[in-house]
Amino acid sequence: MIRKEAMRLILAKINSEPIVSANGFISRDLFELKDKPSNFYMIGSMGLASSIGLGVALKNPKKRNFVFDGDGSILMNLGSLTTIASLKPKNFIHIIFDNASHESTGGQPTATSKIRIKNIAKSLNYKVFEVKTKNEIENFFKKISSIIGPIMLIVNVQKSTIVSKRVDIPPIKIKNRFIDSLKN
Amino acid sequence: MKKNTQRKIFDFFVKKGFNDFIGVPDSTFSEFIRHGLKKNKIIITTREEEAIGVATGISLARNFSLVFMQNAGFANTLSTIASLVQLYQIPIIFLIGWRGYLKNDAPEHLKIGKIQPDLLKIIGLPSKILSQKNWKNSCVWALKKIQKNQPCALIVKREFYD
Repeated sequence: MIRKEAMRLILAKINSEPIVSANGFISRDLFELKDKPSNFYMIGSMGLASSIGLGVALKNPKKRNFVFDGDGSILMNLGSLTTIASLKPKNFIHIIFDNASHESTGGQPTATSKIRIKNIAKSLNYKVFEVKTKNEIENFFKKISSIIGPIMLIVNVQKSTIVSKRVDIPPIKIKNRFIDSLKN
Repeated sequence: MKKNTQRKIFDFFVKKGFNDFIGVPDSTFSEFIRHGLKKNKIIITTREEEAIGVATGISLARNFSLVFMQNAGFANTLSTIASLVQLYQIPIIFLIGWRGYLKNDAPEHLKIGKIQPDLLKIIGLPSKILSQKNWKNSCVWALKKIQKNQPCALIVKREFYD
């Protein structure tokens, strides 16, 4: 499965709950698949999706808060996993689309072909799941309704040549509509 | 800066509705942090960019937040300030230590300390230096800035050498 297909399946399980999406192709896929005010598209600040998502989750305790991250992105900000794990946000669902590459910059390899993020997250007491298929994604969403976070879902995906369009909403508008969406 | 003043600055922001002070510690204002830890309002992150990310999320959920760091750490954050804080106009107050402006400071601080005022200017982050006398005016100024969605910085000079 490629990332965009996996993301489509995951989005079918998320309503108006906030999603903070990593810069690069992840935000672009999300924008093309299902644009909505509760998506916060990062278009810069490489690596910070997990941290922004943590801040949102801490102040938004009644909702599930999602982060759409990449393997390259989380490797840039591995320290954030220790901060998240120490603050233990119950409502934090960290989804990592792992294609073992920096696809947005030309497919250069990342270390996840050799090391397991899963083991790192487990050692930090994240509730960790790893999936590859449509069925496994659906099972994950059935399971997590009764699980207290922080939760990590690693979605193993293949590299792809499909490139989604750029996010063409001005950043300040992305921010303002996201802020308004949290009110509901 | 006197310990008492550091505590007053912290309490000022709490009174104005700040519940989250996020960052990487600096001995220049260690009393500010010690006081905040006691009140359970401090999040220590692994890096300064991470702190800005968390503060951004908190701000998106309509809460004030302050990010603190050393000036060496400030140099780490330039890209994040440009491509996140300024691009999206995220209202964050930065509290930044300043060492290296004294000629006899430790060698690792000299370069960044010397260029700190220029860095602030070039990146376009308006700033004021906090002093024993004027700290309150500067904090009020910063508060007004972020109420207009304008990020800004307050600088604490390191007046001692250890």
